[in-house]
Amino acid sequence: MASRLGYSAAIVGIGRCMTKREDAEKLTALQLGSISSANAIKNAGIKRGQIGAFFTGRCPTSYRTLQYNQTLLNELKIAPVFNTEVTAHGAGALGTLELGVLAVNSGLVDYALCVTNEASGVWLKDKVGQNAAGESNPQFEAPFGPTTPSLYAQVACRYMHEYGATSEMLAKVAVENRNWALTHPYAAMRNRGKITIDDVLNSRMIASPLHLLDCAVNYPGGISTAFIVTRAELAKNHENPTWIAGFGQQTTHEWISERMGAYDLDVIGHEPNLTNTGCATAAKQAYEMSGLKPKDIDIVQTSAPFSFVHLMMLEELGFCKKGEGGAFVMDGNIDFDGGMAFNTMGGYLSFGQMAQGLYNLHETVDQIWGRAEGRQVPDADIGLVHGHGGILASHSVMIVSRERAQ
Amino acid sequence: MSEPAIKLEDWAQGIPMRAGPVSLGLYQPSPETMEYWRGIDRRELMLRHCDHCNRFFHPKRIVCSDCGASDLTWKPASGTGKVYSFSEIHRAPSEAFAAGAPYINGIVRLTEGVHLFTRFIPDPGPVKIDAPARLDFRVLESKWMLPVFLVG
Repeated sequence: MASRLGYSAAIVGIGRCMTKREDAEKLTALQLGSISSANAIKNAGIKRGQIGAFFTGRCPTSYRTLQYNQTLLNELKIAPVFNTEVTAHGAGALGTLELGVLAVNSGLVDYALCVTNEASGVWLKDKVGQNAAGESNPQFEAPFGPTTPSLYAQVACRYMHEYGATSEMLAKVAVENRNWALTHPYAAMRNRGKITIDDVLNSRMIASPLHLLDCAVNYPGGISTAFIVTRAELAKNHENPTWIAGFGQQTTHEWISERMGAYDLDVIGHEPNLTNTGCATAAKQAYEMSGLKPKDIDIVQTSAPFSFVHLMMLEELGFCKKGEGGAFVMDGNIDFDGGMAFNTMGGYLSFGQMAQGLYNLHETVDQIWGRAEGRQVPDADIGLVHGHGGILASHSVMIVSRERAQ
Repeated sequence: MSEPAIKLEDWAQGIPMRAGPVSLGLYQPSPETMEYWRGIDRRELMLRHCDHCNRFFHPKRIVCSDCGASDLTWKPASGTGKVYSFSEIHRAPSEAFAAGAPYINGIVRLTEGVHLFTRFIPDPGPVKIDAPARLDFRVLESKWMLPVFLVG
């Protein structure tokens, strides 16, 4: 039984603009965002003057302006009455749609335009150094020389210690991500062929226990995705609305080592730890809002820049018990052949990671409407998308559906 | 031994931070953590403490997360703890750090119950979860004098 917000709004317009490394034209984040937004408005069949709310993800690292939301708004010549940037790291991408659902249900606006975009793969040369400085505490972590993988590795170290996960279990995720990427024309690793568990274990160590192939590849291009959200009564006037069945979000910290200063919180428990994340809370809320259960989900996309994160998220999303993610994947449950449809673009590990990852939602909508040529999942009616950012700091979960349940 | 890069009294001036060709703006050692850096100058690891709740906190805390008090005091850590988590870094974030790679960064659980990010030095080693760790001070590749932990 869905709650009041469950199925209360739908995606009625969708737009995307993508570039690959080899494309002659290197579009800026602002070009990508403007084009995808215009596409979404056209796709919804509405006029730009009807957009009442405009929510963007955080400012792209490759296009710094103090007010990115307004920079993009200025391009589109729209005049929303409710506009803001949604941060919360990568979780803010789905956060734009969550805020959109609330905005259109308030009755103050009819249509919300929700956009995230990035072109960092085109412009930033030193991603390792740039990320490490941006994702570590400037006083209490950065001076020790951490990298982004090494910050996530603190969680991997505890996860493997507490639950007995092995490097082989982590590697299995990378293998299956790659299998899906080989089917996607834009995936970063589409021409690199299949990999084996041994390939992952034999790839060079980046930050123990994470090997090169346990790590996401930075998407070598640019992607922007845009969505038009409206409430149920108006969605019925549009062709093929994709219903937002439920959503949830939770943030627990900013810096990973200070996560260990958080205690006595429902999500974390009495003692501080690194292995419970806000994904569990976000998923619980999304399931309750939609009245759905993990067994109802046909297709799943996770925001996981390192292999072990997939295992943790499979657990927290309810597809297996806490600590059993490794056994779950080794049993073939996410196999490209015969497993659940899991990261159908190839995931961050093989499609590539780009900014806040809202392209995972675009892919899910494509799959739901049978538009995922070459990788179409049969009978994909209900999809779950997870977004996360920071060092497992912020998590969002959204469930979308082709049919509107009551 | 080189001087620490931070000039404590000039915090408002800021230190330019760069990652390769990318400017990340100014880093400012902040007044609320000044006592922590002064402690390092005299080889002491200073923690925040709530005298009302008798609880230690990370040196960056401003208010007590139990009672909300903003009059946290500074107390020196005993300097003992255990390895909570760690990672051996092979791919370093910059040329300066690459010179010292591989090196081990991780989180130490201090006897006072506070967790800190730090550098673990196997002495005698090995670095593993729950191994005993004891405080020392080293100038690391960043040229900062920092609290590190000898493990084993």
